[in-house]
Amino acid sequence: MIEHLPVLLVVLPIVGGTVPLVASLFTDRAGWPVATLTVFVHAVLAGLLGWTVWTEGVVSYAVGGFAAPYGIELVVDGLSASVVVLVGVVALGVLAYARHAGPHSNAFYSQYLLLVTGLTGMTVTGDVFNLYVFLEITGLAAYGLVASGREASSAVAALKYLIIGTVGASLYLLGVGYALAATGTLNMTDLADKLAAVGYDSTLVLTAFGLMVGGLTVKVALFPLHTWQPDAYANAPDSVSAFISALVSTVSAYALARLLFSVFTVEFLEAVPGARWALLTLASVSIVAGSALAVSQNSVQRMLAYSSVSQFGLVIAGFTVATPIAVVGATVHLLGHAVMKGGLFAASGVIERETGATTVGGYAGMAARAPVAAGSFAVLALAMVGVPPAVGFVGKWYIVVGAVEAGVWPVVAVLLASTLLTLAYFARLVERLYFAEPTIREEAAVADGGASVSTGMIAVVVVAAVLAVALTAAVPALEQVLEQTLPPLLNQ
Amino acid sequence: MSVDDQPGLYVESTIIMTTVRVVAPFVLTFALFIMFHGADSPGGGFQGGVIAGSVVLMLAFAYGIESTRQWLDVRVVVALAAGGVLTFASIGLGTIVLGGQFLQYTEYEVFLSHASKYGIELVELGIGAIVASVAIGLFFLLAAGFGHVVDEEGEA
Repeated sequence: MIEHLPVLLVVLPIVGGTVPLVASLFTDRAGWPVATLTVFVHAVLAGLLGWTVWTEGVVSYAVGGFAAPYGIELVVDGLSASVVVLVGVVALGVLAYARHAGPHSNAFYSQYLLLVTGLTGMTVTGDVFNLYVFLEITGLAAYGLVASGREASSAVAALKYLIIGTVGASLYLLGVGYALAATGTLNMTDLADKLAAVGYDSTLVLTAFGLMVGGLTVKVALFPLHTWQPDAYANAPDSVSAFISALVSTVSAYALARLLFSVFTVEFLEAVPGARWALLTLASVSIVAGSALAVSQNSVQRMLAYSSVSQFGLVIAGFTVATPIAVVGATVHLLGHAVMKGGLFAASGVIERETGATTVGGYAGMAARAPVAAGSFAVLALAMVGVPPAVGFVGKWYIVVGAVEAGVWPVVAVLLASTLLTLAYFARLVERLYFAEPTIREEAAVADGGASVSTGMIAVVVVAAVLAVALTAAVPALEQVLEQTLPPLLNQ
Repeated sequence: MSVDDQPGLYVESTIIMTTVRVVAPFVLTFALFIMFHGADSPGGGFQGGVIAGSVVLMLAFAYGIESTRQWLDVRVVVALAAGGVLTFASIGLGTIVLGGQFLQYTEYEVFLSHASKYGIELVELGIGAIVASVAIGLFFLLAAGFGHVVDEEGEA
């Protein structure tokens, strides 16, 4: 049974996703229990898979018994195992939030499970075309979830997301086509060998790199390609914002890392400095521009969204620097950012429900009215800035150390500046929350509110805040499992 | 809503109705042909499913969208979508139960000669059912206009 875990993790949520659809013929509220049961089992299996990778090393699975490179291979190493566990845990946490916060329709939970399927599939696959298929499943489910908001603006945001996201996925597919033309294979491990044989300076290989990486940066939402992201995050229902901000870009960034290390490999980055610098520049611009845009936002959720643009710049910079310590740092920040950003969106949803505040100005003095949510928000914000001992600090520290080791000084400067910029927008918010006079009167909030908050929602926010600090303790273990399962990368 | 607002949209035309009545069975047969040939020639569940879905679209143009919606129970559409997914998944999981890998069709050879071929064709039929039901569902959703609650917008 254990050896089938990678494929079961993908099949389980998709089968679970059909149940709410069928159940909707009989009842309207079957979605949540079905989704929770499915995601709970999914999380347990993900944990089991993580444990297997931890104890026994890389797990690979030949779908249909067709041996790689001819069949589709699923490969789970330390990097993918940690992302799979993250997907399972976050999906479960968001369900605890969504139980009260909604949406409640069965169709919503079908799409939710479909999104879990897509994310898991992207994480466990070892085949570049299979990755495209799951990228599309993830995308389609995410567009639908964004559109599940009640306002017209959600539909517009979803349409924008759909158009830009489809362009990104198509670029990626085009790149896969070039790679296939160059090598005749789609399996990642096989591609790594054959791309080297074709030659890294071959036009086909370079074009494939540009298109595949370019397509994925749209999905990650790096700076000039991020335009879908703030609208999608800010206009979706709170549960969806928390879920997609925590996972969708994260898994795309994982896929980008997978391409860099397992398909094109570090040797490619060394042989083609142009490609490496292009990606580093994109990441650096993203860090600075994302922070600057975040500072200038008035809506808290849009600010959080632009903050993601900046933080993913950091993650991609870490992966592109590609020294062992930078890769560990980027992975830590990738996972930590998911927990922190999901928690921040959830906390902002709770604060909005309790006080009606959605803007930076409105947050003034709200700590007294929503103490638990505001406290968690502050902890998560400071963790994101990188205040030790939070996990945000470890990730950024490792990335900076890696960049110093590699001697890429411009990037080091940007990384250090980014911490200050992050401080600029989060410190402003935390200061408003605790030390400013309220601008929203209590009666007004009560009159216009009416949306209640459940224990589950508060619990999710608190758990995220605790995890943002506690995950630091897991970093040595993560480092160890990455060292064991990514030897070609980390023993260069 | 759209039906009330634009009464002139649907024209009951004997020519269209007769043509559709004659053509529809052939189109459906062609859809199945495409699905069954997915295993060894160009074609398969996606293409066949779209063609099968287009049969319902033709019927809707000929006999009116509302009457087609009533004729084709929503339960049929849901059953096709869910059934397709479950067919695919159970064929895949069945091979695990028999001791092989996921979707390792050769495991079924003990029960049935040429099991690989039949297995792939069943999977194609499952995919076809999903694609057809999604195409039909999207068509009816779009045809219903935006007067109803926006809650179900992204369905399927």
